[in-house]
Amino acid sequence: MRASGRDPVVFVAWDAEALGGVQRVTHTLAQGLAVRGHEVHVVGIHRSAAPFRYTAEPAYHRHVLQGRIGRPSRRRLAALLGALRSGYVVLTSPGTVAWAREAIPRRLFTVGQYHGSYEHARSTWHLRSIRRHYGELDQAVFLSPEDAWRFTEDCLLPNAADVPNPLPVWPARTSPLTTPRVLGVGRLAGVKRFDRLISAFAAACRAVPERWELHLVGEGEDEPRLREHAAAEGVTDRVTFHGRVPAERMPLLYLHGSILALTSDHEGLPLAVAEAASYGVPAVAFDVSSGVRAVAARTVPPGDLDAFTAELTALMADLAARRRLGAAARDRVAAYRPGHVLDRWEELFTRLRL
Amino acid sequence: MGHEAGVEHRVARSTRPASPHRSRPRAWPPDAAGPVTAPPTPRRTDPPHRPVPGAPERADGAASGVRPATGVVPVPARPAADAGPDDPLVSVIVISYNDAERLVRAVRSVLAQTLRALEVIVVDDASTDGTADAIAAIDDPRVRYVRRRANSGGCGAPRNDGLSRIRAPYVMFLDSDDELPRHACKSLLAEIERTGADFVTGQLARLYEENGRTRRYYPELYRRRVVHGVREDPEMFLDCFSTNKLYRAAFLRREGLWFREDLRYEDHLWSTRLLCAARRFAVVPWVVYLWHRAPEGGPYRVSISRGVHDLGNLADRVRMAQLCDRHLVSAGFADLLAARQRRFLRQDLRVYLNEAVPVATVSWIEGLQRIVRPYLAEIRPEAYEGIDPLIRVCCHLVAHGTPEELREAARSLTGPRVPPRHAVRVGGRTYWGTVPEPGRDITACRMAELPFSAARLRHEIERVTAAGGRLGLVVRTYDPFGVLGDGVGERFDVHLRVRGLRVPLAPERHPDGGYLSRVELDLAEVPLPRHGFTGHCVPRVVVTRRADGHATRDVLLLPPAADPAVLHAAGHEVTVRPEGHAGVLRLDWRYAGRPHRMHRLRRRVTAALVRRLGSGEVKLAAYKVLIHVVPRRRDLVLFEADCGRGYTGNPRYIHEEIRRRGLPLRAVWSTSRGRRGFPDGVTLVRRWSWRYVWTLARAAYWVDSHNLAPAFPKPRGTRYLQTWHGQGIKTIGFDAPELRGDFEEPRRRWRAAVARWDALVSPGAEFERLFVPSNGYTGPVLRYGSPRCDVLVRGDAETARRVRAELEIPDGVRVLLYAPTYRDAGKGRSVRADLRMMAEALAGEWVVILRPHPTERYQVPQEVRHFVRPADGHPEINDLILASDALLTDYSSVMCDYAVTGKPMLFLIDDWEEYRRTERGVYHDLPAIAPGPCLYGTEEVIDALRDLDAVSAAYAARYAEFRRTWCADEKGDAAARVVDAFFGEGR
Repeated sequence: MRASGRDPVVFVAWDAEALGGVQRVTHTLAQGLAVRGHEVHVVGIHRSAAPFRYTAEPAYHRHVLQGRIGRPSRRRLAALLGALRSGYVVLTSPGTVAWAREAIPRRLFTVGQYHGSYEHARSTWHLRSIRRHYGELDQAVFLSPEDAWRFTEDCLLPNAADVPNPLPVWPARTSPLTTPRVLGVGRLAGVKRFDRLISAFAAACRAVPERWELHLVGEGEDEPRLREHAAAEGVTDRVTFHGRVPAERMPLLYLHGSILALTSDHEGLPLAVAEAASYGVPAVAFDVSSGVRAVAARTVPPGDLDAFTAELTALMADLAARRRLGAAARDRVAAYRPGHVLDRWEELFTRLRL
Repeated sequence: MGHEAGVEHRVARSTRPASPHRSRPRAWPPDAAGPVTAPPTPRRTDPPHRPVPGAPERADGAASGVRPATGVVPVPARPAADAGPDDPLVSVIVISYNDAERLVRAVRSVLAQTLRALEVIVVDDASTDGTADAIAAIDDPRVRYVRRRANSGGCGAPRNDGLSRIRAPYVMFLDSDDELPRHACKSLLAEIERTGADFVTGQLARLYEENGRTRRYYPELYRRRVVHGVREDPEMFLDCFSTNKLYRAAFLRREGLWFREDLRYEDHLWSTRLLCAARRFAVVPWVVYLWHRAPEGGPYRVSISRGVHDLGNLADRVRMAQLCDRHLVSAGFADLLAARQRRFLRQDLRVYLNEAVPVATVSWIEGLQRIVRPYLAEIRPEAYEGIDPLIRVCCHLVAHGTPEELREAARSLTGPRVPPRHAVRVGGRTYWGTVPEPGRDITACRMAELPFSAARLRHEIERVTAAGGRLGLVVRTYDPFGVLGDGVGERFDVHLRVRGLRVPLAPERHPDGGYLSRVELDLAEVPLPRHGFTGHCVPRVVVTRRADGHATRDVLLLPPAADPAVLHAAGHEVTVRPEGHAGVLRLDWRYAGRPHRMHRLRRRVTAALVRRLGSGEVKLAAYKVLIHVVPRRRDLVLFEADCGRGYTGNPRYIHEEIRRRGLPLRAVWSTSRGRRGFPDGVTLVRRWSWRYVWTLARAAYWVDSHNLAPAFPKPRGTRYLQTWHGQGIKTIGFDAPELRGDFEEPRRRWRAAVARWDALVSPGAEFERLFVPSNGYTGPVLRYGSPRCDVLVRGDAETARRVRAELEIPDGVRVLLYAPTYRDAGKGRSVRADLRMMAEALAGEWVVILRPHPTERYQVPQEVRHFVRPADGHPEINDLILASDALLTDYSSVMCDYAVTGKPMLFLIDDWEEYRRTERGVYHDLPAIAPGPCLYGTEEVIDALRDLDAVSAAYAARYAEFRRTWCADEKGDAAARVVDAFFGEGR
């Protein structure tokens, strides 16, 4: 397996340094592989307006294709890849695949990732793009076996595999689940629907005696509106907006959390839920994809806010249930331990050489 | 790179034993034997042939396909030392005979596989065209070359030779004229390892070389799955290829599988034995084999299995089918005989009926009958279940008919599925020809029961004369189902239509039945584009009934083997020729003169300029300037309904109300190409044309039902009346799938488009509760009911009568309007009722008007056309609602309009869970609120329709509740009140 360690791995992302789930995964993988002895490059096609530092001391090389002015150029990518005699090019999204595929020399192996669920691809242009381009890559990688299966059936892909996204770390300690605190993690943007979470939380608070709090982690344009909404629901004093939190402070938040609530309309494999689960924190979520089903402790039909409130209330009222579900969730996400996922990637690279 | 001469000493044997029982039973792998010939450039001796490990010693010869000995010489293309990877995972056996060029393409497709740990075993069936050199020129140690001493005349012997030399645990076959897609080996390998199957079979696709298109072979068969023995899915007998599969070599060894060498179609017996032997096999949906179809008349000879005009081939096919049957019996699968025989009828025999019989001579067809007849006698009656009735007729005619009758029937299998010359109806059943025998029963085609506008006639051209630009035709028209009655001259107008030209025909009764028409056509009169035309046209005979204007259209037939005739008219060369196996008349125009160079250049420049200037961005940019420059016209109203689909919906009824009152307003309707049904005097503009952009900028009022031109900001002073197009349980606006995705941009655009509305027509409180917040609308709401429902409240018996006449619905038959909504998941999935089953049960009592969602495309199958009236082109759904007696729908918003009428409704919601959860999403639990029964299958629909009165009575309370929720504000005066509010005084 280590034999493939000599071959470089190049990740190509649309905007590699921006804050986002795809980028976090890309940098986690890049760092992990680099530490294991691979030569790793992370290539951003666009220059990021607000670069985020994912790794304190990157052991990999970073590149941006777009100059200070003008459009990013495929020629720069070709020149960069031209220096490699062999290796693997991981394209991290359908847009990246469509843009970069032609510029990759044939001697390099091409891998296309898709970080969304099948359901999400179907409601956007992604499905058509995947149908058109992914079958021609050496490998198409999806998040779960279920997703890989559905893409295979629908897009007739002969080359689909599944590798889950890695957690950034695998915690030794888990949350005691005794702090009365619900966590909501994600960008404060429309699709995450934190307004629903606030409504459900407000309703649940009225039903349990203990004084619970809701902690929202993330920043976004919706923040003023959400503050207003919290006021309208009468829970201003119970909702804390943390804003953007650096990666190293997240463990502490999880260790003080008791429930993670996810009200998004769309999620592929929600990393926040998996991260919380790794700290033994159970999650309530809308059943919007197989990724959510795989990691959330409790799911309710999409958009059914009453059912969501009921589940949230039940968990807030029952410490034993939280502990039981939290332990089960941690077992389930053991597959996303960084070491496991890196093993899966190295296996995949080895298989490509068969 | 040279070749090695074999040195092994072998015993010479006959290469093609006369009959199978004379061949000697051998163990697997069949050992190669026979004298050695010297390949082109002998240089080195052949290394000893490596025995396949673990080959069982079987000498009982129990299996039916016993491999006879043949002469082969294995010659590796490379010294053994650098013979590729030591442990190939897959051996690909490529067989070839005098096909060097394409063989190299095939071998390269294997070497380009994403799986690299493989070996290619090229078995050269004694080619004489330099195949050896061509292979030697391929510089890859994974290629091994084996040359047979004498040509075997088939595929079995070379494949067996390859099999005896494989070194990998898995094996595939490839023919020299085909290719493997680059993931074939690796994807099949992964699947066989994942499933532990004995073999994996994958989708095979024909690749038509003349246009590069591919077509998958029976795609519905290749669903991804593991089949535990062929009994689980006997349909798999359709998959009778050896090539689209990856086999576990140990399994082949264990079962002693090899190919027959003395008959063609050895694949068939191979596959039958394989399917019987496999305890478990896997199926994958992606394409794993590209079957090249060279253009006919090209430089390459057709592959062995494709010679459909060769009776010897047919005899082998039949013989093979018999051997397969015998094998099934001996292997204990006698219960699957019918399934395997069905394959013979659907696939093997059909190929000959389709392609060979229509162009064959009488003596050839007699030959076919002689060969096939004995086997047809063996075929079990169950094998005919589910077979196309016309195939059954052909089988009957093979056994009992004349060659001429068979040829006539075979032409009906493809293309337009032309009707017979004659048919008889006895006791409600329809028979092909003139004799009512059970074997000729075509009742299931329902050709005799069609409404006149779908009725079928057979027009055969008896003589073609071509003189200058004049085309003379003698057309014999057969009316097998008597739709023309007695007096064709008095009651019908008959025309020949060629592009825009209509030439009258005067059919005269023919003493032998049918009609004879003579027509002379001046091709110079056919309207063509100004600067020449290159393209084709299929002329049709149009028979119009004078009494009601209904018309039936059918193609004309030429003998399929007729030679093309060439005419010259108006600067064009026109070729008159038969098309396809049915021999449909077709005219091909080719502009004979050279187009003027300047003209061509000018056209190209103009086209590029128009494309550039006519692009959406340019129009939008121009529009944004325009609205600041030009003033609004106070009396101009722009109407658009259903994205330009016609004169319908709320905008139509608002427009009618404006006209009725004679308000001083000028209406312009936006419409997409080719829409009809607008009243006289209405100005039309093509959607997205420059005039449309101009009208958008000038109109003082916009009235629309779908949020027109969402990217176009509303000019100052324009007032926009949003009428919307329906209400119901489906999610809408920001809750609908197209807007709830991960991206903000579509939501931002929608928000901006909604902000343009100045008033929203609301059918009721429930609509406002759901629609207004989910679209973020904050403006005034006109809650007076839906203008389009006024007519439903008031009723309109005259329209109902008119629609029934238009759709040729006989009196006394009840009408079910079937209006399913669309599915986001894909086109063609919305018509979920089994129309065949419904026709079987309900034809005569009910007629279905099928109205799919406007974005859906659905072709009504011919055999239910007597029962289903397609109404996707009908401009006004209200007319259909008025003409119907009941509604069958699923989640369509039409249910809320239909409830206004009080007529019964049924809901076919077999995909409710999927629709609710993963498809569109809903606001209401339909089973809990539906004003009629929720049904989960076609049988239930049939039962409910048979007992409709009792069913409606049981749902009366729910119906009333549903009307209270959705229709409380429908009073029949919505249009008037909306016009008052929006266009009235003080506005």
